[in-house]
Amino acid sequence: MSSDTPSSPAPDPGTAPDPGTAPDAGTAPDAGAAANPGTIPAPTSAVVAATRGATKTYPGVRALDGVDFEVRAGEVRALLGRNGAGKSTLIRMLCGVETPDEGTVEIGGTPLAGGGVRRAAELGVGTVHQELSLVPQLSAAENLCLGAWPTAGGRIDHAAVRAGAREAFAELGVDIDPDTPVGELPLAQQQLVEIARALRSRPRLLILDEPTSALAAGEAEIVLSAVTRVAGRGVGVVYVSHRLDEIRRVADTVTVMRDGAVVETAPVRGATTARIVSLMLGRDEAEEARRPAGAVDRSGTPLLSVRDLAVPPKVDAVSFDLYPGEVLGLAGLMGSGRTEVLRALAGFAPSTGTVAVEGAPVARRTPRAMKRLGVGITPEDRKGEGVVPLLGVSENMVLTWFGGASTAATVRPSRVAAIGRGLVERLSIKTARPDTPIVNLSGGNQQKAVIGRWLHARSRILLLDEPTRGVDVEAKAQIYRIVRELADQGAAVVFVSSELEELPLVCDRVLTLRAGRLEQELTGDDITLDNIMTAAMAA
Amino acid sequence: MTTTTAVPGAAAPARRGLGRYGRRLNEIGLLAAILLLYVVLGASASGFLSLDNQLGLLRNAATIGIAAWGVTLVIVAGEIDISIGPAVAFASVLVAKGAAEWNLGVAGAITLTLLLGVAWGALAGWLRARFNVPSFITTLGLWSVLGGLALYMTDALPVPLPESAVFDVLGGSVLGVPTSALVMLVLFAVFAYVARYTAYGRSVYAIGGNAAAARLAGLNVTRVRVVLFATTGLLAAVTGILLAARLGSGNGGAAAGLEFDVIAAVVIGGTALAGGRGSLLGTFLGVVFISVIANGLVLLGVNPFFQDVVRGLIIVAAVLVNVLVNSRSAANRLT
Repeated sequence: MSSDTPSSPAPDPGTAPDPGTAPDAGTAPDAGAAANPGTIPAPTSAVVAATRGATKTYPGVRALDGVDFEVRAGEVRALLGRNGAGKSTLIRMLCGVETPDEGTVEIGGTPLAGGGVRRAAELGVGTVHQELSLVPQLSAAENLCLGAWPTAGGRIDHAAVRAGAREAFAELGVDIDPDTPVGELPLAQQQLVEIARALRSRPRLLILDEPTSALAAGEAEIVLSAVTRVAGRGVGVVYVSHRLDEIRRVADTVTVMRDGAVVETAPVRGATTARIVSLMLGRDEAEEARRPAGAVDRSGTPLLSVRDLAVPPKVDAVSFDLYPGEVLGLAGLMGSGRTEVLRALAGFAPSTGTVAVEGAPVARRTPRAMKRLGVGITPEDRKGEGVVPLLGVSENMVLTWFGGASTAATVRPSRVAAIGRGLVERLSIKTARPDTPIVNLSGGNQQKAVIGRWLHARSRILLLDEPTRGVDVEAKAQIYRIVRELADQGAAVVFVSSELEELPLVCDRVLTLRAGRLEQELTGDDITLDNIMTAAMAA
Repeated sequence: MTTTTAVPGAAAPARRGLGRYGRRLNEIGLLAAILLLYVVLGASASGFLSLDNQLGLLRNAATIGIAAWGVTLVIVAGEIDISIGPAVAFASVLVAKGAAEWNLGVAGAITLTLLLGVAWGALAGWLRARFNVPSFITTLGLWSVLGGLALYMTDALPVPLPESAVFDVLGGSVLGVPTSALVMLVLFAVFAYVARYTAYGRSVYAIGGNAAAARLAGLNVTRVRVVLFATTGLLAAVTGILLAARLGSGNGGAAAGLEFDVIAAVVIGGTALAGGRGSLLGTFLGVVFISVIANGLVLLGVNPFFQDVVRGLIIVAAVLVNVLVNSRSAANRLT
């Protein structure tokens, strides 16, 4: 993670020192100052939700270990932590999915006492899960009313459905047509429909689990301002996200979790990125992604040369050269045509213009032709288009080139396993075994395997579409490292990301794309977040 | 991503062990059910355990099994083929007409039948792969067209096969074992190998698990889908030829309802209708299971109409157990 404006660590507000309850006092130097790391004194408003000493053990792992956590009315509380830190378990407890083995969960002062999801909802918990749970074919208004349709004389009152929706959207300060089928709305608006639905029952506590992970920066802004508005009405908000820039904009306080315990709760103002990251990782210095080293040698033939590439209707006239050893960032908002460029280059979308690999133009750009020339693509939708969930990690990697694991047309399971072991080690994929079904891995490790698939196929031109989406901080750093290593070994990488702040960390050169056209080229020290952001968004 | 993956190292080996056990549980359970059926029927149905009856059982199993090998891969790929019954009937008519009326000779008639089987299967697969017509519909079309043609060409009358040593062997036995059963076993070995040890077989699993991912990984999804249905067309033709040889005639009304026995055997064997998961060994056990039940009901003298009722109930119950076992092992894997 990058650290933006450095500021001094936040002095913890006046709480009685009680080192006994402060976990990891050694690694988090000033955590000892917080009596109750999960709470922050804000006596002005009522506590809407709290856990006290909540502990949850699954077979073989303690998911939560005596967690004290409080959220007050009108507060936006960011919840941060790596995968497995206990965020999910804590959230599931607050919304009644899980019951603590020890300790209590209180909503609005009333103990949940194992009442389940229904009870939690009655007490005023609204939850928006990471995966959208809308029916795409139904209108936005109908989605809001799912399961609780207003009726008049035994029939559904469609006028009331529509009016209720208009009101709900107006409250969020957004303009969504209630009659549009949800599937036709942009992702950000779909997310807002989800939030509006969670707010219908007037919750005291709204839990948002990575509401913007699928959104580009500009779209996320709409969601963030809606969240601020919701909190302004006195709802307590728990906001889970990996995007620190967002947390800075939307949250008042941040709770960092690690290994099933709350490490620290602090005001967002004053908590530096470096400090938050080190709290999450449990190290004083976060693993710094390696800055691009030497200059790329651009004297030879480009590995990939693109001239006037057009993919109607989204992309027109994109041209660039890509040299061995180079990581080229492609920045742009969602809908700017990034994905279309990658798909066209890999042969999956019909396109016009010329594409040359090592100087030789490719006339018919079919997926097979491009693959043979060494082009590999990893999709942004890892679950939908990346992994084959039930197949093992190894098999997910060898499927780009079964020949590499075969002798005389027979796929050898022992070779598959050996190749899998090699890649698991090379890419530091965390998996119980190489043949574990890939669905059991975390997002970051799945992503590494999807990249590994193209290493197995000996690809030299890697097109990575949002390789760090929905991936935790540690895995992100590893992915940056892998990408740099591949480039150092002579591969050329196109790195697409809507998390613009990561581009300066990995890229030798950044092209910004806006509305299907290349907007600007940034190299060397010009690759800064400001420059990228300006080029991608500004008119 | 924050939901399914929270458990690190320590708990993983135990869960994986359970998952493995779960995956096999299915086949172990089916094997136990078959053994139970053997014990019960051996005690209650006279003649069940006799060699003649067992060989006959194997011969009947072949009618289901040969096509079931292909249909297993079709279903693993997330597709379905419901055309097997009429395709078998039509193939039996083709081979009889070819040999007896069209003067193609025995070899010519068999070749023609096999080629046409590949052709109509490939057509259904191509419509699926190229134009995204659901395979349920393309094979429903085949079901109707082939069944109709078979009856239209014969006026629903049997077409006698000419005398031929080849047909005698195909319809008879080799070293006491029914030829069709031998063909079934050989093809089983071939398909079990293809499914596990060839790029094509592994592609089928990948496509059934996530077709979009398989496509982006560069697999030729279109070709695999065409080949899948060409294969079931070929296997239906093989079954039709063996059936005609055994009955001594091609029959437009033969093998009615066979497609459902085939699908039932595959699903009982643990192959997920949603695709991505299944095994040939499971299907083999499913074929045996269905064949034993059919045979037992006959020997027990159950009313033929009521046999269908009993078979239907047993099939649904078997699949239910299967689904329950699978969802439990899936839960083990995912929490």
